[in-house]
Amino acid sequence: MTDIEYIRPLDLKEALDFLWDNGEDTRIIAGGTDVMVDIRSEGLDKKYLLDISRLDELKGIELNGQELSVGAGVTLSEIYSSRILESHALALKKSAFSFASRQIRNIATIGGNVAHSSPCGDTVPALLAHGTKALVADKKETRLVSMEEMATKAYMSCLSPKQILVKFILTPYGDGFADFQKIGRRRELAVSRISMAVFVKKDKEGKISFLKIGLGACTPTPCNMEAVEAFLTGKVLTRELIWEAGGLLAGNMIEITGRRSSAIYKEPAVQGLFMRILYPMVNV
Amino acid sequence: MVHIDFTINGQQKALDIPADITALELIRSLLGLKGTKEGCGIGECGACTINVNGRAINSCLMLAAQLDGTKVLTVEGLATENSLAPVQEKFMENHGVQCGFCTPGVLMSSHALLAENPDPNDEEISKAIAGNLCRCTGYKQIFVSVREAARLTQQKGEGGND
Repeated sequence: MTDIEYIRPLDLKEALDFLWDNGEDTRIIAGGTDVMVDIRSEGLDKKYLLDISRLDELKGIELNGQELSVGAGVTLSEIYSSRILESHALALKKSAFSFASRQIRNIATIGGNVAHSSPCGDTVPALLAHGTKALVADKKETRLVSMEEMATKAYMSCLSPKQILVKFILTPYGDGFADFQKIGRRRELAVSRISMAVFVKKDKEGKISFLKIGLGACTPTPCNMEAVEAFLTGKVLTRELIWEAGGLLAGNMIEITGRRSSAIYKEPAVQGLFMRILYPMVNV
Repeated sequence: MVHIDFTINGQQKALDIPADITALELIRSLLGLKGTKEGCGIGECGACTINVNGRAINSCLMLAAQLDGTKVLTVEGLATENSLAPVQEKFMENHGVQCGFCTPGVLMSSHALLAENPDPNDEEISKAIAGNLCRCTGYKQIFVSVREAARLTQQKGEGGND
């Protein structure tokens, strides 16, 4: 007989109060699609399962002026069908399209994907490309954590056992080009080997005025690629230039990850994926 | 133990269950409904697909306690006393089944799809059943079965309005 206790708080305050006293002994569960796999493989070394999947405070996708917020408890299916995200955060919406399977998208949450801190969490590169900050709360305070700081290493987030991810605040950039693509072993239900999201804006002369790149799965934690962003900003995109920037991106990836046995494949694949994503932006 | 109240295949249930079991264990072991299969147990194969509040989910990835207050449909609840559900009828007719192990899951994914989208195209069918592995049929007959089930559902719907 198990002595694990299941707790479903009625509101965020109750959840945070509980974690303040029992955080160290608690595993938080939302959609459960990662937690249940862990429980199956290694059991649960905690006393409590705290179910935050029904907390209203973690729901909803809203646009308020310059702030686009996505609740941590929003499911991947909800992200994919959101009109607001279609217009204001297309890379995030696209990351939900190829995320696992329909059955998983129906319950898996964006907060869970981020908190689990898998290097191949598909929503993370998209959140990086959209300049996202996460609102994190404990009983005493709330604070904003940038997506770059969220994962400290593979499968390790910076969240303390007393904290809950409440929502993500994205920068709605206005008009621009956004995309997310990934490479896996097959098209559906495949863990990403390489995932990439970009947001690009051009000025009147066709020069890149703003660029953000989020790279995932091929680095220990997903990251922004600032050197490549700086390299392309102010330039007019040509095929040759994207190829060169893709090479720089692949080189930076190897610098971060190290030259593993898969590098011989991943280096050109990163370059090629960057080409594929940005090619529609070449001035014609 | 956790107390849960929910509906499964139209029947109200009030149960006390262990806190850390999956919805799949609840359905198969505690309720004895063996139609839902366990394949991989980690959300890769879709054999354990059930419908919760009308949406397809992997019952191996859901905590049983999270079923509290929900409406659950398993493969046993698809048919009525008088007839099979359109998906069942058409899978039978078109040999959408070979060894049968994936079938309950594929049926539940297809059933949820048709409830949400009565006239899916092939891409939408593919997207809906991409999380269900079938190593026998090669999927071709499954596509035919779902397409025909969609047609039958529409006809039945129209008939029902008469």
